[in-house]
Amino acid sequence: MMNGALGKMLCLKNDIIFKQAFSLLRVRTSGENPISSAGGILLSTSRHYKTRPIHGIGRYKHLVKPKEPKKKRAKVEVRPINLGADYEYGVLNIHLTAYNMAVVESYAQYAHNLCNHLSIKVEKSYSMPTKTMEVLRLQDQGSKMLPDSVLTTHERVVQISGLSATFAEIFLEIIQSNLPEGVRLSVKEHTEEDFKGRFKTQPELEELLAKLN
Amino acid sequence: MAAPIRQSLFGVAKGRWRFEGLWAGSLGSRSLALAAAPSISGSPWRLLGAVCLQRPPLVSKPLTPLQEEMAALLQQIEVERSLYSDHELRALDEAQQLAKKKADLYDEEGDEQNVLLTQDMEDAWEQKFLQFKPGARITEADKKNDRTSLHRKLDRNLVLLVKEKLGDQDVWMLPQAEWQPGETLRGTAERTLATLSENNLEAKFLGNAPCGHYKFKFPQAMRTESSLGAKIFFFKALLVTGDFSQPRKKGQRVWVCKEELGDYLRPKYLAQVRRFLLD
Repeated sequence: MMNGALGKMLCLKNDIIFKQAFSLLRVRTSGENPISSAGGILLSTSRHYKTRPIHGIGRYKHLVKPKEPKKKRAKVEVRPINLGADYEYGVLNIHLTAYNMAVVESYAQYAHNLCNHLSIKVEKSYSMPTKTMEVLRLQDQGSKMLPDSVLTTHERVVQISGLSATFAEIFLEIIQSNLPEGVRLSVKEHTEEDFKGRFKTQPELEELLAKLN
Repeated sequence: MAAPIRQSLFGVAKGRWRFEGLWAGSLGSRSLALAAAPSISGSPWRLLGAVCLQRPPLVSKPLTPLQEEMAALLQQIEVERSLYSDHELRALDEAQQLAKKKADLYDEEGDEQNVLLTQDMEDAWEQKFLQFKPGARITEADKKNDRTSLHRKLDRNLVLLVKEKLGDQDVWMLPQAEWQPGETLRGTAERTLATLSENNLEAKFLGNAPCGHYKFKFPQAMRTESSLGAKIFFFKALLVTGDFSQPRKKGQRVWVCKEELGDYLRPKYLAQVRRFLLD
């Protein structure tokens, strides 16, 4: 409000000294940072460079909150929070599996958007590696197996946290009733095995560990 | 047939259901604050747990004309934009080889590779597809409008309703049972289900919280010191498997979808039940 008023004042053709005194007074009494108020940049007393008024005109880093550096392997093991009547679930994984990748991806997108819309926090949304199954059909005459078809199973996981018990029921029902054909739903709590299952097996590491033990 | 009976019932038992208009749905109403606040032992309200057993849809709903047009268009775009699959590449190769053979008119040894031509494979697949017959979407029960069977309306949610005797009237409602001290309300709902079906039905309760409530006051004649009325809490359960073993004549049952609920339930009760039914 102050800045708007200041701006309007600056637009009017008033006496400069009168303007300066007034704005300084206003800025000081409001207690704001003189640099950050819009109208006060030109007229503030603490300039970075005395003879260049517009020096540092593009500075913004001091206004942005510093971002925490992301840890490489962040393990989020949130225990379910008991809040008396409001029982909240910890981290839940919604697994969607199907043979048809387009359908499963679009449904995972829909689930993610639904969570965003219902302000449920989505930790991450990832996919598990696809499993290929070859279906062999027994030949009519004889015992030879003929390749019939190749089925690929795709799995998408949406990880959410902070679901309250009263709402979980409604949420689950929505997801269940909107499932497209061919998609299987499974909602589980997040465990260490789930987390470790995403990593590739490292046979050398295992060998070394076995040697140590 | 249901409507005139209902109206006459309304006329006869004036005191019973009239009060719902004033109290229904508003737990914070002033005159009932006294009743809601005290401890359970002193409360004049009887607690009942009811279960809203839903059979989830088995088949997806048919697409609207707009959706069908859109789907067809998107499919066409996708086919035009996509790359050739392995099968199609093989077919093209074979077509080229055949053309070459005809043009050059000399025998190649490459015949052993393609014992099964792609055309043969496609014919075989076509045959298998013709043999497959998908199940009917509109079942017999739909045609007969047999509301007691579970095979009706495969693309909708069906809710179970039972007919109970309340006082001297037969009322359609969701299956309910009285709450006993020491058990949770969800336990009451599970007990209702067990007694009703004699353990033939398997249902999955999604949560511990009720999805709706309904309260009503008893008519003046029935009111005593300790029972002013009753509060019913609804719990939702999804039917996994099972059905009733035999049709019992005593307690009639009906599986009904959301629109048909109006044929059976009273208006105020219906208004409360409708609030938590998704469709």
